[in-house]
Amino acid sequence: MSRGLAALTGREVLRVLKLWTQTIAAPVLSAFLFILVFGLSLGGRIKEVAGVEYQAFIVPGLVTMAMIQAAYSNNASSVFQARFDRYLHDVLAAPMRHWEVNLGLSLGGAVRALAVGAALLVLAVPVTGVPVHEPLVLVAAVVLALVLFSSLGVVVGIYAETFDHHMFVNNLVILPLTFLGGVFYSISSLPSPWQEISHANPVFYLVNAVRYGFLGESDVSVGLSLGVCAALTALAVAWSAWLFATGRRLKA
Amino acid sequence: MQLPATGNGRQLAPALDLRRLTKRYDDGLLALEDFDLVVPAGEFFGLLGPNGAGKTTLISAICNLIRVTAGEIRVFGHDHSSMEARRLVGLSEQDVNLDRFLDVEETLVYHGGYYGMRRADARQRAREMMDVFDLHAKAKVRTPKLSGGMRRRLLLARALMHEPRMVILDEPTAGVDFELRMELWRYIRRLHSTGTTILLTTHYLEEAEELCDEIALIGGGQLVARDTAAGLREAYGAASLADVYVKAVGA
Repeated sequence: MSRGLAALTGREVLRVLKLWTQTIAAPVLSAFLFILVFGLSLGGRIKEVAGVEYQAFIVPGLVTMAMIQAAYSNNASSVFQARFDRYLHDVLAAPMRHWEVNLGLSLGGAVRALAVGAALLVLAVPVTGVPVHEPLVLVAAVVLALVLFSSLGVVVGIYAETFDHHMFVNNLVILPLTFLGGVFYSISSLPSPWQEISHANPVFYLVNAVRYGFLGESDVSVGLSLGVCAALTALAVAWSAWLFATGRRLKA
Repeated sequence: MQLPATGNGRQLAPALDLRRLTKRYDDGLLALEDFDLVVPAGEFFGLLGPNGAGKTTLISAICNLIRVTAGEIRVFGHDHSSMEARRLVGLSEQDVNLDRFLDVEETLVYHGGYYGMRRADARQRAREMMDVFDLHAKAKVRTPKLSGGMRRRLLLARALMHEPRMVILDEPTAGVDFELRMELWRYIRRLHSTGTTILLTTHYLEEAEELCDEIALIGGGQLVARDTAAGLREAYGAASLADVYVKAVGA
């Protein structure tokens, strides 16, 4: 790792740590409350979903939701602020390759998401007893989720004209897609055509890939889930790489 | 232009060599057109011109902060976008653009890291810079909490962190009080005396006259005139640089 990349990554991680109450504690608390409220209260009424206790069934989806939102919103806000206050110039003028700048700005979100995911698991495992059936699939799914949403955050941070723009994408795109992606239910319980429509939701594949890693259960083939996630990740990475390589939106 | 020769007979590359530099923004504004400029190494060079003349566009082009439409920029003989060229330039921008999440010391240390300095070296250099610019008492203060004068000093300290051979100062004394302006002049003069090339833009004509070896007047994205202050006065038959400015680029 070059010193420039190490410094930029360090700066992004330092930002996450300095703002830990917002960047780590808040998303962990809200996701854990979902687990407690939905899992433990509704868990008494909904005994099992796909052969898994409900309180354990929702953990993979909630972990996914917390992690992708952390990765996305961290990078979108960090890049937007750096552009808005123009301290990004200090990085753009530096002797760093464009891919190093892209990677350095992306890694902050990935580190934040991992911290959120790890903290959530530490809290959720004792309460719900959620297992890890397929660790390799889980690692692959988490890596794809982090890269996809870290890159998406960087892209939105570059395009955003106001702070509201990245909130708009989070609240009106990512959050609804995540809820409709089967975080709280199996789509096998949905009537037609909602079951078929759910297959057009990219986050559905991500949630199911992570769920397969935890529970060994999924609404769709894990190969298809990982394949869709990998394709989307490649698109997001290519988009952010193009922006940094050409300077579009970053440089007038 | 005759370039100074080194001891072994090789010609020293100029600090800055711009050839037919053109910048047209996406909205169609032509900020620079076929702009040629050579700044010899070690010179204190001033850029004067009204708002919108193209000074900041020129600086942004040199520092890879905008996409150049056409032309060539070389810094000490290197293409301006190369890693070598970037390492040789330090920039203090007109607007205060400090990282709001970092304190004074972190601002300097992370900047050093971006420019490839080892962590220990960056820390040592940051301490030196905080000594020079009287920032030690504010080392752990986050940048939004600094006074205007402290921010200006930090901007200059950051530009000098990686020991660049050319420092670009875009209106470094804009909006600062007289005392701080004199202090910044002293810093800049001291820097130039060590052989660092200085490219200064300013709206204070007396500042340019006082500090610069040569001055270029820019208007409408083109080089209007270039000479020493005395040479410009003589060429325009003017009593002062202000008169030259009015005649050359309009008031």
